Amino acid sequence: MSEHTETPKNDWQTPTGRRTDEWSECLTLISQKEDRAAFTRLFRHFAPLIKAFALSGSNLSATVADELVQETMLKVWQKSGAFNPEKAAASTWVYTIARNCRTDMFRRLNKFDTPLAGDDVYPDQEAEEPFSQLQSRRSREHVREMMQELPPDQAQILAKVYMEGKSHAEAAGELDLPLGTVKSRVRLALQKLQIHMENYSYG
Amino acid sequence: MAKYHPDLDLITEYAAGSLPLAQAACLSAHLNYCEQCRRTAGQLEDLGATLFDSLQGETVGDVQLNAVLARLDDVPPLSYAKVEQPLAGQTPALLQRLMKGEFADLVWKKITSTLSISYLSTGDPGYEFALYHIKAGGKIPEHTHKGSEMTLILEGGFSDADGTYHQGDFLYREPSDVHAPTALQSEDCICLAVLDAPLKFTGWKHRWMNPFLSLNAG
Repeated sequence: MSEHTETPKNDWQTPTGRRTDEWSECLTLISQKEDRAAFTRLFRHFAPLIKAFALSGSNLSATVADELVQETMLKVWQKSGAFNPEKAAASTWVYTIARNCRTDMFRRLNKFDTPLAGDDVYPDQEAEEPFSQLQSRRSREHVREMMQELPPDQAQILAKVYMEGKSHAEAAGELDLPLGTVKSRVRLALQKLQIHMENYSYG
Repeated sequence: MAKYHPDLDLITEYAAGSLPLAQAACLSAHLNYCEQCRRTAGQLEDLGATLFDSLQGETVGDVQLNAVLARLDDVPPLSYAKVEQPLAGQTPALLQRLMKGEFADLVWKKITSTLSISYLSTGDPGYEFALYHIKAGGKIPEHTHKGSEMTLILEGGFSDADGTYHQGDFLYREPSDVHAPTALQSEDCICLAVLDAPLKFTGWKHRWMNPFLSLNAG
């Protein structure tokens, strides 16, 4: 594997000292050079997370979870050219691929026949505005820090919604809570994480 | 620029991948018109990635890795042409795909003298996904729903007791909200409506039609 002496301009260190931008570099190496060593590094990092994502709260078997790992990682390889480090963090990009592959898998398992694939209902990254690296990095770091501070009941709901792919109504059913309680916990959590919308009218 | 938006709950479910397909498609079409919601959805995806990153990883053996490595040659990395920014005001690509043509090419079912409906197929068994064409100045008879109604304005606009809506505006109505939208006088209105139960006309003049309004889901 080649050593990279050049420091990417958006390189930074996490508090643990690990270079979080390593994964962006891997994706670039894959799309430009079909670099299998870079792919292997990505695989070793992300495959265990994808498998955990597949198994969390869903009734997917270990075999199906392994399939999801394979499908997601193949897509990561195939679509690496669509990744643009100016527009998203590498981990967010991989997460969205895993999310969409999981949706497709659920639909296949339920024999749900549709002309749309999971990817189709999310805009192409190319259509997005480049974000301010600094601003978005700060917001991600803030989210990461504040996540530790969330009361367990709020953290639990976010995990249900995101990692288990449950709608708010399904989460309410499983936790035996009124829908309004689930919604307000999600909102309180998002407020603490400073994810909000400005000047909004809801239609 | 859109003035009415989906609320944070809906965008969260969308970003988490738990919104039903037909509703996700409608919300996605709104993002086409709305930079602000695109940004919010992006933040909510970052949040998902943060939760994903902090999962306790499950063991994946070298057998898995080798199986994937062996398949890489079958799926070489695709090259992506630089995509142009979608033109403001253009019908969202996702809808163009489902419509397989222009608004004029669709099969429109006439409901009243000013309202026609064209049903599109998303495959989602729980939701009807349909385009409504209301003639300029025309009125959709006062109605309520047994379920929820998501609406996105694609062309023209309409108003009801709560406001006036234009291209890109997104509305979400809970079951039993009664309203009677009227298209703007200046031009015809085309909007996308996603329903999980049929409309129910409430006025005496149109109530007789209710038994004929079944949900065209799928």
